[in-house]
Amino acid sequence: MFDFSNITSWLHNLLSVTCGLGDFWTILIECILVGVCILAGYAILAIILIFMERKVCAWFQCRLGPMRVGPWGIFQVFADVLKMLIKEIFSVDGADKVLYYIAPFLVIIASVGTFSFLPWNNGAQVLDFNVGLFLMSAISSIGIVGIFMAGWGSNNKYSVVSAMRGAVQLISYEMSLALCLITAVVLTGTMKVSGIVDAQTGAFGWLIFKGHIPAIIAFLVFLVAGNAEANRGPFDLAEAESELTAGYHTEYSGMGFGFYYLAEYLNLFVVSGIAATVFLGGWAPFNIGVAGVDSVLDMIPGIVWFLGKTFGIVFLLMWVRWTFPRLRVDQILKLEWKYLMPLCLINLILMTVVVAFGWHF
Amino acid sequence: MKLENIELSFDNFASEMSKLKNQKHFDYLVTIIGEDFGEEGLGCIYILENTDNNERCSVRTIAKKVDGSDVIPTVVELWKAAELLEREVYDFVGIKFLGHPDMRRLFLRTDFNGYPLRKDFDMSPEANQFPLTDEPESDYTVVYSLDADGRLVATKKRLFEDTDFVVNIGPNHPSTHGVLRLQTVLDGEKVKRIYPHLGYIHRGIEKMWEGMTYPQTLALTDRLNYLSAMMHRHALVGVIEEGMGIELTDRIHYIRTIMDELQRIDSHLLYLGCTAQDLGALTAFLYCMRDREHVLNVMEETTGGRLIQNYYRIGGCQADIDPKFVENTKKLCKYLRPMIQEYLDVFGDNVITHNRLVGVGPMGREDCINYAVTGPAGRAAGWKNDTRKRHPYDLYDKVEWEEITMTGCDSMDRYYCHIKELYQSLNIIEQLIDNIPEGDFYVKQKPIIKVPEGQWYFSVEGASGEFGVYLDSKGDKSPYRMKMRPMGLTLTGALDPMLRGQKIADLITTGAAIDFVIPDIDR
Amino acid sequence: MEENKKSYFGEIGSAMKTLAIGMKTTWKELLTKKSTEQYPENRKTTLHVAARHRGRLVMNRDENGVVKCTACTLCEKACPNGTIKIVSQMVENPETGKKKKQLVDYQYDLGDCMFCELCVNACNFDAIKFVNDFENSVFDREALVLHLDKEVYEGGSLPNIIDGGADFEIGTFNTKTK
Repeated sequence: MFDFSNITSWLHNLLSVTCGLGDFWTILIECILVGVCILAGYAILAIILIFMERKVCAWFQCRLGPMRVGPWGIFQVFADVLKMLIKEIFSVDGADKVLYYIAPFLVIIASVGTFSFLPWNNGAQVLDFNVGLFLMSAISSIGIVGIFMAGWGSNNKYSVVSAMRGAVQLISYEMSLALCLITAVVLTGTMKVSGIVDAQTGAFGWLIFKGHIPAIIAFLVFLVAGNAEANRGPFDLAEAESELTAGYHTEYSGMGFGFYYLAEYLNLFVVSGIAATVFLGGWAPFNIGVAGVDSVLDMIPGIVWFLGKTFGIVFLLMWVRWTFPRLRVDQILKLEWKYLMPLCLINLILMTVVVAFGWHF
Repeated sequence: MKLENIELSFDNFASEMSKLKNQKHFDYLVTIIGEDFGEEGLGCIYILENTDNNERCSVRTIAKKVDGSDVIPTVVELWKAAELLEREVYDFVGIKFLGHPDMRRLFLRTDFNGYPLRKDFDMSPEANQFPLTDEPESDYTVVYSLDADGRLVATKKRLFEDTDFVVNIGPNHPSTHGVLRLQTVLDGEKVKRIYPHLGYIHRGIEKMWEGMTYPQTLALTDRLNYLSAMMHRHALVGVIEEGMGIELTDRIHYIRTIMDELQRIDSHLLYLGCTAQDLGALTAFLYCMRDREHVLNVMEETTGGRLIQNYYRIGGCQADIDPKFVENTKKLCKYLRPMIQEYLDVFGDNVITHNRLVGVGPMGREDCINYAVTGPAGRAAGWKNDTRKRHPYDLYDKVEWEEITMTGCDSMDRYYCHIKELYQSLNIIEQLIDNIPEGDFYVKQKPIIKVPEGQWYFSVEGASGEFGVYLDSKGDKSPYRMKMRPMGLTLTGALDPMLRGQKIADLITTGAAIDFVIPDIDR
Repeated sequence: MEENKKSYFGEIGSAMKTLAIGMKTTWKELLTKKSTEQYPENRKTTLHVAARHRGRLVMNRDENGVVKCTACTLCEKACPNGTIKIVSQMVENPETGKKKKQLVDYQYDLGDCMFCELCVNACNFDAIKFVNDFENSVFDREALVLHLDKEVYEGGSLPNIIDGGADFEIGTFNTKTK
């Protein structure tokens, strides 16, 4: 299997040895390169996701979706981005200006931060700590602060209600999310993202095969909780457009709104990416233990596997979003605390038992 | 119905009304008509109905002059529906109701001068400049009463506490289905009190009618609840035809019945979709809209309109049915039946929908009658209020169909009520569509239409309740006073009792489930 | 709607079932034919507009191209909006010597019209009618004030639409552009 670390170490050698730059300059240049790549990837994925959402949503609704700008409307998103960029940015009377302006950045930081943890290919992780999953869930929580600040700072009653809803919902669902990840960590024995993927290579190595029942339960709960974390229907009540117009980002225009919009779609991708990484083996190809078949499957690059799995889950989540009505705030909390939380806790014990007795594959 | 008014004087009004309600069981207040009776002065006509035997009666009383104001005792304690109806009378005619808990204007701006439906109202443009300032708003309302000396006393009453968190749902809000403004007092997510503010799309249709010839009045009805355009116009031509004593051919009756039901299907489909959309299920909304397109296509081929149908006229219909109408309608019925199940599959039977709708915005049968919540919303509480059964018109007493009533009293049953009524409408259409008799589609009328002197009230079953038109004619070519009973006004009045203690999300749900359309409320 | 007597797990089970039915329904729709009508791409091909649709008012003309209007102003009086304004003059017939009203200008303000068809109902001479020519938007309000007796109406922007255009069938969708 192709190892992306070949390229990164070649680059590192090029800078430090061939060009003879010191450690500081080498690392600085590398960081800038990586940063640019991440942001570029982030933007490209946002465009793809927004287009995909429009088309998928349209098809579920018996519509054609955007058709006018370019063939099959593929330039529609570019037109929208352009519109958003040239829109006037204004603020609201009586708004708390500091909170109001900082908030979108916090949301986008949380989103880009978690985005950086995704393992794109063998050896192509940006952030890879030994407490990876832990750090990732910590960074993702910054987004809540952004949402809350936006709602409070906007001087708008709808936004306040929405911010309260958002905070309550995200904090609740973070429990399940973390518990599901812990369940996976129990099985893999590491929190390091690359370690988790490594543990899933080999024949039927993906966690949902390896950890069978408890892993599948954890996977499904993770999808539900992740959907709630990404603030998407049927859990989109923080921005419930029929109740609170647009919720916490009602008062934003231009790129302030654009950041929320981007973050929403990228959070969807990040949640799907994490689910794919932790439960479906990340870039690890699907192996069945027969050498001939496996070698063919291994030929497919890791990034294709990763993107394929992730977009599969993205599609699933879109399907869910465009099918179900929205829940009410008390029902969302009931679902979490009455059903998902207990299930996660029991599941965690189950997984521990499975691992302790070696009942997994 | 030609009105035979019971005349009551100011002194015995309160006691006699109470007798009508409590002893004769006239428990449903259909509408209150405020009218300037010319030399007799200002007054009101109350149309009442007995829900046991569907008997109707009308009461007329002339307001008493006290300190230069015209006053009538309120009937809010007897019929809760009177709360908004009396405010409307106050707004347009200027009668002050003694003891009414919230005597503010309802449709017009608080700084509006004069009472437009009085005959001496100055209509000149100079006296009615378009206001360029914000509407002044007060936290206070006023209650009028007579003191021991018989003088009029105005008592100020506070509407909001200092600490109340007041949110304006509307006038521009995605799910108020128009420009309705609900001033909502919240306690966290809980609703404490709702004050509806109406009139953001008030066009003064009743006032305009007074200066129009009878055929001209028709042009405005389709602009009320545009989803019940046929039924609105049906009520208007109905009352004029009754007043003139026009006999229609069977063909007209058949066409009108079928068209009314097609329109009901159209409205109900949109209702099902909008309920789904207000709950965030956009996909279910689009399925309903997609199929509504077919209904509109069928109607458009005959009427030439999709929203503004413009089809009935005094003495018949605008044009004969399209040659392919029968065939198209049959295809439509065949297409729609399986689709209704799809709405249930994707939305109606969904567990989330049930959680969102069951027990939300509850209102029992007694309260529904008291607040005059007609239509599917009232039938979901078990009140048999379908005008098509109570006071049959056209062919509704000749076809076989079932009046849907349910027992849940909540938004879920309101939703199911609409679903079941769709099937009933399809049944009615299928019974009639093959048997449309030959005959004229229009009975020729004189060039200038005049209605003989008298007062009439005629009502039809609109898509979301009883829609009636009251006509007072002095024998001229234009009406002396015409007044509608809109379907949505009493529904709006019932929002507050339905929603106290419920959540904001339930407000949206209930608003969607009781199915009001603002242009119909505001007129 | 029935009384909820199900257990904790029974409740979850039936809930999951309804969710699955919902997902199944949308999946089915994902694969069926779409319903979007592609106006304006189809405006000269598959577009159907009901022949009775009221798009704008036009004048009927006889075989010589002469309008049938007698300037009796019944339509002007019937209009609730004051959309129609008729200017006429009295002309003496040189042969008989009788004076007769003659139409000078028939002004119809499309921007004010609410398409109620009362003018057509009022007309005794079959002089005016509504056509389904609906592409009437212009950039200037003034351009909506039409002088019907002066214009020579030849079917508007979509010449083949007056009788309804392409066929349509209830229960099917017209998504094609060709």
